[in-house]
Amino acid sequence: MTRPRRSLFIKYFVTLFVAVVTPLMLGSATEAWFAFRDNRLDLNELLQVEARSAADRIQAFTDGIRDQLGWVVQFPWTQGEDERRRIDGLRLLQQVPAIVSLSMVDPSGTERVFVSRVSMNRTGRGADLSTDPAVVGARANRVWYGPVHYQRDSEPYMRIAVAGNRAAAGVVVADINLKLIWDIIAAIKIGDTGHALIVDDTGRLVAHPDISLVLRSGAGAGDFDSLKSVVSAANGSAVATTGEDGKPVVALSVRAPNVGWTVIAELPVREAFESIRAALWRSLVLIAIGIVFAFVLAYWRACRMWGPIRQLEAGVERIGMGQFDHRVTIESGDELQQLAIRFNQMAEELGASQQKSERINRLKQFLAPQVAELVEHSDQRLLDAQRREVVAIFGDLRGFTAFTARARPDAILAVLRQYYEAVGAVTARHEATLIRFAGDGVMVLVNAPVACANPAHRGIRLAIDMQAAVQSLAGAWNADGCAIGFGVGVAMGPATVGTLGYQGRLDYTAIGNVVNLASRLCSLADDGQILVDPVVTEHVRDSVALASIGERAIKGYDHALEVFAVVRKYAPIRHFDHPFHPANVRPAAAACAGSAPKLAPADAG
Amino acid sequence: MDRRDFIAFLGAAMAWPSAAFAQDSAKVYRIFWVSTDSQPDPFLAGFREGLRARGYIEGKNVTFELHYAPGNPQALREVVSELRRGNIDLAVSSGPATRAMTAVTDVPVLFALSGDPVELGIVNSLGEPGGNFTGSTFLSLELAGKRVELLKEAVPTVRRLAVFSNTLHPGEQSEWRATSEAARALGIETVYVPFAGKNELDKGLAAAGDARADALLVFPDVLTMVHRAKIADFAIAHRLPSIFGWGEYCDAGGLLSYGANQRATYFWLATYADRILRGEKPANLPVFQPTKFELVVNLRTAERLGIDLDKSSILFRANRVIE
Repeated sequence: MTRPRRSLFIKYFVTLFVAVVTPLMLGSATEAWFAFRDNRLDLNELLQVEARSAADRIQAFTDGIRDQLGWVVQFPWTQGEDERRRIDGLRLLQQVPAIVSLSMVDPSGTERVFVSRVSMNRTGRGADLSTDPAVVGARANRVWYGPVHYQRDSEPYMRIAVAGNRAAAGVVVADINLKLIWDIIAAIKIGDTGHALIVDDTGRLVAHPDISLVLRSGAGAGDFDSLKSVVSAANGSAVATTGEDGKPVVALSVRAPNVGWTVIAELPVREAFESIRAALWRSLVLIAIGIVFAFVLAYWRACRMWGPIRQLEAGVERIGMGQFDHRVTIESGDELQQLAIRFNQMAEELGASQQKSERINRLKQFLAPQVAELVEHSDQRLLDAQRREVVAIFGDLRGFTAFTARARPDAILAVLRQYYEAVGAVTARHEATLIRFAGDGVMVLVNAPVACANPAHRGIRLAIDMQAAVQSLAGAWNADGCAIGFGVGVAMGPATVGTLGYQGRLDYTAIGNVVNLASRLCSLADDGQILVDPVVTEHVRDSVALASIGERAIKGYDHALEVFAVVRKYAPIRHFDHPFHPANVRPAAAACAGSAPKLAPADAG
Repeated sequence: MDRRDFIAFLGAAMAWPSAAFAQDSAKVYRIFWVSTDSQPDPFLAGFREGLRARGYIEGKNVTFELHYAPGNPQALREVVSELRRGNIDLAVSSGPATRAMTAVTDVPVLFALSGDPVELGIVNSLGEPGGNFTGSTFLSLELAGKRVELLKEAVPTVRRLAVFSNTLHPGEQSEWRATSEAARALGIETVYVPFAGKNELDKGLAAAGDARADALLVFPDVLTMVHRAKIADFAIAHRLPSIFGWGEYCDAGGLLSYGANQRATYFWLATYADRILRGEKPANLPVFQPTKFELVVNLRTAERLGIDLDKSSILFRANRVIE
């Protein structure tokens, strides 16, 4: 029982899920795609601006140093001015914090003045620097930027040499501590978590907001080199790659042309696409809400279905158990309510039909099946008590009591069964009412409860057929050695008819003199004889041959009554092999008379 | 490329922002402070200040366990074994105490060293320490000669220089050698005035007074730092131009000082301490060298000594002038 209900829920859920979540997902995906494209453009622009700005600041840093160095190479070297040059150098150190030491080289390429923040200063003729690449470079291009070198493989340094506009002015070579670029790089904030970094041509880190990465002896240089090559390959547009800390970043590179460094601006993907991310998460939450919504709605709808379905189920069960008065109440205002209404109608009709079939079954006890149907389908009041003209027919076996005393029980029952069948068949054929069997006796009523045309005629025909049927049976029985005969009494007159019974056991019966009369006539009748009262005789005289057997005193009647017998067209069978002694007849008649009160309860009263 | 980017980005975007702070806020970090100097310790104060600036509150998420063995690195051996047993997050050793710590291998050690940590064998290289040691080196030896040069610059008449040195301060001998070499190159005679610890300080000063010197050079260390006022007053009283290692000496009345900014150095050490407590390995934190050297001049002292500094290059080179 549970499984189909769950499947109903699943069906609802899937439908709602598809209806709610699919459009949401499609919408989110489309939105994400377009937002991503727009964001990419913005990002490109932002990173470009930041990287360009960083490169400009680096340029400004080196240009500033270059310009400052230009001051000390304005005048040509003359004799004995080392002291003045030394002061110039010291002032330059004071002015430019990044310069760690200065060498002033005269036109011949000899170092004349050396000033330093750390080492001892020197003046006077020093080492010959004329082949030093810094001096050579500066003489060739006026400005020379050296490669980045790392003091003790840790601190990044760089030499810058500047020559005067005349060879006589000499050359100044400055050692620059690049750690001071850190101030510039650290100051560049891209978004909240982005940063800029500088990589030199060899791929080694020159500047990074985390200075310890720079000082790390070039450890991880490979990472920066590959980052540089990946980002440089994009030619100034942003690429998504992996940053130095292994997290995904969007990066863009710009070259600082004078020193040949690459400035890389990085923004973690997380922040770069924060807005889309937020939108995606919102969509996810919406989708989740949609799922919950679909779930709740499906559950609710399924519940709305289960209730009525359960009611209907229970209804079917109770109807199945025969409680036809059970009714289902569903007020959903939809097809289910309609179904419930139809169900109730069905139950009602089933109940009516059941009652009807019960009644028919009851009627069939004493009516021919077709009569029963007729009664059922016509007026119900047919069975009500009423007084009407009826024909009562009584039949009774002769010699049955003696037979029962001799015969085996199964033989007795076999005889009775054949007898009942024959009588029943005849009664049904004539659409008469079989009131009941009682042992070897039978009572049949004509014209009640179903009225018929010419009841007397029908009654006498029935009696004749019944006699004939039983006689043919009796022939077979006698052949077996049982001396059994059959007598019939027919009477017509007014009687009270109706159903009578106690605690569900109902019988249809007739009460009145006519019943007693028919019973007495039956008792009087010999084997094979049909005795008829004067009323019936009066009605059928034209069509059936009747002969008066004289007046007889009937119990319950004040004076003797003329009794007629149907003229037999055939001889009783028993006379051929077994003489029927009058002595044998009496006890049978007595037995028949004895059974009469059982057939007609009114007789007792 | 767009689509590939988009898919990569989707993956990154869906990742829930992981908690950025690995720092366990409930945890109380235990820091061992190991020093061969004596209290009061201005370096400890600087370090504490640095940690406070990083958001550490002493007693709440950090506790200090101070171990001092003035002038006696041997006494620190016990401390080292205690360090091995205890649940210590970080040890900080200032100066020569670092030598006693070389046996420590399982606890991160931060040092502030005047000498060369590579020579001492506690780091593989300045860039990649590679072990459990990292910190800062002051380049004191190089600056020792520079101080003599600056003194000569300020007072060109200097002929005889008294060098006042605490012999309990390890490395003092190499500093003395660097100083005397520089003085010889500048044509200055040196008088070595040693003293052993706090108890001999007054005796040492008396000896310096008797040295017939015309200038005084004091090696920077915690003891002279703590007694800087006394030493500066002594120099003024004996009309000796003086040069020291750190600016604090000049604040107390010294004439000149040249050296790395101690406060900046200890601030930097606090930064490293923070990074180590957050889980970074000392092996990956390069040894830091000071970039900025401060020249401090006390003009009031110069005036009291009758020295005219206007003619020299000292004043325009000074980072700070006390007037």
